[in-house]
Amino acid sequence: MLTFVALASVLLLGIVPEQTEAIAIYTGWERHALLGSDIRLSCSFFSWRLTSDDVTFSWTYRPDGSRDSISIFHYTSGQAYVDNKGPFRDRVEFVGNPGKRDGSILIKNLDYNDNGTFTCDAKNPPDIVGRPSSVRLLVFETVPIQAGVITGAIIGVVLGLLVLIVVIYYLMRFLVARRVFSLSVSKHGKKKREGSQARQGPAPTADPTKVKAASSEKKKQESRKDKK
Amino acid sequence: MLILLAGIFGIHIIGIIILLVATIDNVWWMTDEISTDVWARWIQTNGVWNLTDLPTGSHYPQDYLQAVQASSVLACIFSIIGIFVFVAQLFTLEKGQRFTISGAFQLLACLCIMIAAAIYTDRFHLDEKNGWYGHCFILAWIAFSLTFISSIIYFVLRKKTA
Repeated sequence: MLTFVALASVLLLGIVPEQTEAIAIYTGWERHALLGSDIRLSCSFFSWRLTSDDVTFSWTYRPDGSRDSISIFHYTSGQAYVDNKGPFRDRVEFVGNPGKRDGSILIKNLDYNDNGTFTCDAKNPPDIVGRPSSVRLLVFETVPIQAGVITGAIIGVVLGLLVLIVVIYYLMRFLVARRVFSLSVSKHGKKKREGSQARQGPAPTADPTKVKAASSEKKKQESRKDKK
Repeated sequence: MLILLAGIFGIHIIGIIILLVATIDNVWWMTDEISTDVWARWIQTNGVWNLTDLPTGSHYPQDYLQAVQASSVLACIFSIIGIFVFVAQLFTLEKGQRFTISGAFQLLACLCIMIAAAIYTDRFHLDEKNGWYGHCFILAWIAFSLTFISSIIYFVLRKKTA
């Protein structure tokens, strides 16, 4: 039994580190943008190691319908290098925070020629094995509504109406009950004063607002009687 | 008494399952190569099924499609809320009272699935000769009748024992 446990733990310890050493890179899947606007392409990574000082980010761009990629951004040894010759010259800005594992870039003044796939590759030495992640950019004149949004909106509105109706129903019941309670307490109070010594009637509910309303009603009745 | 309760519970659960299958599974309209429903379309090319978007055009109106999607999802949601409300009412209702709220939810679910199935029948595939309605479409209409019967039972039933 013991040998079996020892063997299993050795096996697990042997397997697990190999699987956790790969770096995982996250970008969006698709981004929609308006013509002439700016877009922030986000890229972050997950690594089991601490963020090293030699962390590198690089972005490459592949136009739609082309098979070649061109490199447009590189960050290494604490310095960011942007495109100064290619299709994005003077339009790329580094807005990420390498210390927080963020390698996002900002692309300004978009054009229809910028439609394509942007690939982010991050390395965190000694953790360098990983797959680069790509985000597809689509530039529109007017941003279209996505297919599921209208359906979701209809469902949300109907459910919201239902919740509203339920809330209003319970609110009306609460208000009507409170009104009935305060009226009955004031009637009860008059009868007791006309009779012998008044003794404190126990409040049927422990609700402080209801008791306050009842006592304020009582005080109003008394002051009215005194004025008379 | 317990058998009646189990039967009513069973009808409701079967209604929920049929609603879920009709909404999620991909078989509203079929031909030899395509299999489509309200969300996407499967096209078979060279023995491999590919998932594609629904066609947009005058014979596939977008707004009616969204109405069908929304109301079939709403029918599922109302039916599922209804089963929880029924179980709650089983324990909190006083003797002799009717299960009105559960019946109301089931009726709402019935209404929604009727809207979905009716719009689909009336507005889609009007002039497509080759092709037939798949099993999910039939299940949607069966779900309509099941939820209707279920809601009538809830409106008529009275709580016997406390």
